[in-house]
Amino acid sequence: MNGMTAVVEAEGLTKFYGQRRGLEDLDLAIQPGEVFGYLGPNGSGKTTTIRLLLDVIRPTRGRATVLGLDPGDAKVRARIGYLPGELALAGRERAGQYLRFLADARGGVAQARIDELAERLEADLSVPMGKLSKGNKQKVGLIQAFMHRPEFLILDEPTSGLDPLVQQEFLAMVREVRADGRTVLMSSHVLAEVEHVSDRVGIVRSGRLVAVEEVAALREKAVRRVELHFDAPVPPEAFEGLPGVRDLRAAGASVTCTIDGRPDALIKAAARFTVVHLVSAEPDLEEIFLTYYSGEEDQHARVGSAKPA
Amino acid sequence: MPALVAQSLREYRRMLIGWTIGISVFMSIYIGIYANIKESPEVYGPAALAKYPGALKDLMGGLADFTSGPGFLQSVVYQLFVPMLFIACACGIGNRAIAQPEESGLLELTVTLPIERVRLLLQRFGAGLLGLLAAVALTYLLAWAIATNVGVGVPADRILAAHTGVFLLALFFGTLTLAVGAATGRKGLASAVAGVWTIGGYAVVTIGQNVSAISWLKWVSPFHYYLEGKPIYQGFPVGDYLVLAGATAVLLLTAALAFDRRDVGV
Repeated sequence: MNGMTAVVEAEGLTKFYGQRRGLEDLDLAIQPGEVFGYLGPNGSGKTTTIRLLLDVIRPTRGRATVLGLDPGDAKVRARIGYLPGELALAGRERAGQYLRFLADARGGVAQARIDELAERLEADLSVPMGKLSKGNKQKVGLIQAFMHRPEFLILDEPTSGLDPLVQQEFLAMVREVRADGRTVLMSSHVLAEVEHVSDRVGIVRSGRLVAVEEVAALREKAVRRVELHFDAPVPPEAFEGLPGVRDLRAAGASVTCTIDGRPDALIKAAARFTVVHLVSAEPDLEEIFLTYYSGEEDQHARVGSAKPA
Repeated sequence: MPALVAQSLREYRRMLIGWTIGISVFMSIYIGIYANIKESPEVYGPAALAKYPGALKDLMGGLADFTSGPGFLQSVVYQLFVPMLFIACACGIGNRAIAQPEESGLLELTVTLPIERVRLLLQRFGAGLLGLLAAVALTYLLAWAIATNVGVGVPADRILAAHTGVFLLALFFGTLTLAVGAATGRKGLASAVAGVWTIGGYAVVTIGQNVSAISWLKWVSPFHYYLEGKPIYQGFPVGDYLVLAGATAVLLLTAALAFDRRDVGV
């Protein structure tokens, strides 16, 4: 309806389980049409956030709206597709029958749509749910999340248990959702799983959102190891003090360093000499991810509040 | 029928069928025995009285009129065993409605469907009610058929009155289990509360009725509102049954409100 409203808007969203912090002071806005990767290790608050947005649990304080409505409004859940992080499916009932129930409870989804998704993910729906393997359970979970073409998909650890080929198919499905202008929030504890489809990533740790970055900007921040080889020894001073260049080691005709973000200054400095060989490792977003984490950890250590996980 | 009611009935089906078969077998055997007792009441009456010591006799409802048709039906079928079997069945369903799927994680997808919490709980309850009603109806027809066959001599409407009482008792305890489970999400606690109230409630109105220190407790025993009116002898104790039904409604309302306010699956 109103395309300008944020799909998720959280202000000071906080959840304590007794004394234990689940999530504290989350401020977050997810815009329509974006794929938002929500990253953090297990127990960091990802699932708490997701379950707050779905009204499975209630905030200790703060507020959130989803698709412009209060999460407690059941109508909003008709417009959401949800894959739980720990999907439980059990019993003798066949997966197809259970999907039929979920489809009917959501006001009806064509059987052809369910069959199409099952074929795409190569899921066998005639198996009793208690006998499904972890990967097949995850497929059933994905089918029920995607089948009613929801405006907003909330996927908690969607790729866990999927083999690489099915993962690719799943990522293609996410891209299609984005191409439709629909919105996705997907969590993971591994950046590599979400970086290729996400527009932005948020990093949550110990119940706090520590960073929100555009994936493109994250790539710019990427720590890259670079090796330059020249035809003759070069003066180390020529490379000292360049913006973004760290861990510089100049020895004879070769220079190695790490660069944060753009390699521009380094390239321009090197261009004054004859470069015979250049090695640059692919930017490892995982490493930046860890940089954020270790930063957070240092802070904890300083205030002396770090607790063993 | 709402999708969730149909789905819930599918979930309860096996359990309901199992209990219905079990209760039917029990009734067939025990009501059938009356054919022998009718033949020689002078043997079985004193034998039954001699077999059980005083307290146990109280627990079985006195056994005074054991050799008459109504007395037999009351003592053997409607006093203790069939109510307890139906209560166990109803408590099982009461736990399956919320607490059990919540503990196993199966409720997560259900609560994120576009169904309000209160409606979700009422539909889970409604399916249990329908299932229990079907089990009660089938076993009533069977009880009536066998009782007629062996000549127990209790009219159909008196059997119906007793069977309705069993249904209301079971519904009360099933709803109690549902309510504790809906309020706490813990099926063990729900079973414990229902179990203690069932055993305690029955003890209070039988062996406890002559102990003045605890006899007042009969007012909080659901069995009081079932046994006191002697439905097999006197037909429907309408007022007592309304108390049971009203208490069940209060429990259901409590369950709905508690579930609506609560964090699920934490």
